[in-house]
Amino acid sequence: MIKLFIWIFLIIIFISSPFFGAVSLDFNEVFITSTLASNIFYELRLPRVLFAFFAGLILALSGLLFQSIFRNSLMTPYTLGISSGAVLGAGIAIKLEIITLFFGLSAISIFGFAGAIFTVFLLLYLAQFLKNSHHASLLLLGIALSLFYTSALMIIFYLGSTIQNDMLLRFTMGSLSIIGWSQPLTISIIGIMLFLSVYFYRFELQLLSTSDEGAKQRGVDAKRVTFILLLISSFAIGTLVSISGPIGFIGLVVPHIIAKLYPSSVKERIGKTAIFGGLFLVMCDTLTRIIQTQSELPIGIVTALIGGPFFIYLIISKSSK
Amino acid sequence: MIELKNLSCIYDEKIIFENINLKIPSHLNILGANGSGKSSLAKCISNISKYNGEIYIDSENTKNISLKNLAKIISYIPTKLEIYDEFISVQDFVLLSRYAYKQSFFDYTLQDKEIVKNSLDTLSISHLKNHTVGSLSSGEQQLTLIASALTSQSKIIIFDEPTANLDPKNSKIIALHIKELKKSHTIILITHDLQLASFMDNSVLFIKDSITTLFGKEFFEPSNLEKLYGVSFNSLSVKYD
Repeated sequence: MIKLFIWIFLIIIFISSPFFGAVSLDFNEVFITSTLASNIFYELRLPRVLFAFFAGLILALSGLLFQSIFRNSLMTPYTLGISSGAVLGAGIAIKLEIITLFFGLSAISIFGFAGAIFTVFLLLYLAQFLKNSHHASLLLLGIALSLFYTSALMIIFYLGSTIQNDMLLRFTMGSLSIIGWSQPLTISIIGIMLFLSVYFYRFELQLLSTSDEGAKQRGVDAKRVTFILLLISSFAIGTLVSISGPIGFIGLVVPHIIAKLYPSSVKERIGKTAIFGGLFLVMCDTLTRIIQTQSELPIGIVTALIGGPFFIYLIISKSSK
Repeated sequence: MIELKNLSCIYDEKIIFENINLKIPSHLNILGANGSGKSSLAKCISNISKYNGEIYIDSENTKNISLKNLAKIISYIPTKLEIYDEFISVQDFVLLSRYAYKQSFFDYTLQDKEIVKNSLDTLSISHLKNHTVGSLSSGEQQLTLIASALTSQSKIIIFDEPTANLDPKNSKIIALHIKELKKSHTIILITHDLQLASFMDNSVLFIKDSITTLFGKEFFEPSNLEKLYGVSFNSLSVKYD
């Protein structure tokens, strides 16, 4: 009953989301072509909802993937420092004032993507020196990397001009403000690709979340499957973060909500986690547009405000078992 | 038959064994002090740990056998069932052992599920099939793991200290099941439990200071035990049979 209510609530928000914002849109006006309302609706609001949905899908699915592969509830691209890597990359691009466009992508995006991918490979490289069973150490590595990146970013802030710092600050807060359809389409293709890959490997994922030994013993090439899945998800996260900036805690919160609502094997939770993640971020995004401030509230702040307390609850409830 | 040629085991960059040559004709108990490398040897044989040298199963080199095919030949049962996916049900967990037989991407077949049902019936744990694995007691966990091994239909099963965490009642249940399995499978049993070992009536491989020695029934003579373990034992009091 509660489950049904939650889903209906999220879907209603999802459908009505495009009508909320700095300018409230009249339902009838939207369908008359070439009015201001229909322009806002088709060129700003609809692409934004689509973008938010697939961004949430990518974040939640990557969270579930990282948690299952590393068998640790606190593993997400965000807690492992991959998002911070992307921010630092973007920061470098802003500081160096590289504004060239490559294939329609800004230098900020490309540097952000490079930062994320670099971090993944650094983590995979460093993980070789950890003992197999010590995935908790990997989490510490991620935290150490995050701190390092944050300090490096502080140096860029310190050296930067006011305009640069303002750009950088907005990027670090995460934003879903986009214009037009090209970015939402890119992210939705990547999101669908990620979903299909995870679905393709659903049985392997189920085996990997027993133990490395257990998976290998039952015939799974654990190393290969892990590498493929991490690579695909890092590619998705890297691309996303390079456009939206870091949006934390979705990857942490959503898989846990789904596990609480549907206590079943990881295989059964892939689809639900993906769709719930999408709807959840659309809800957070709608919140940012309803709460009126000077300009709209950055999405990263909203998700962190929800996710932070949840993170603490999670740590306490895990350790009190 | 399992044959080890020049086998060296490496665990955590430490060499556990060097150049072992051994023929294991059929059932075998492996005994030895803590840290003597019993588990490492078993993990090398089941290809979980890295090793140098060759292992032959029925005169085929295991290096030439794919992971999936090896899973159909050999099963390793750890002492404890460790799992992150705590909400998986017992029958779904046991079903994972059919992975090696499954076509990639497609779901497990009805036949796979039938085999799981039979394994659970054989071990009399059908009533647990919908329980989550996280809610099982140590005894039930061990039975679930044995069901997994049966489901994989491998002819060799390696037990790694199956009774280490169990009370006497559950130890006896497990012991009887393992003895029953000797009829249909090749059993390699690692244990510290001398009662269990003597009950199994297998030849014994004793590991001490990286040296392996093969014994028959004479292993359980008090004088022999005293020589190997360095302490004296009275005759074994608890009997499973």
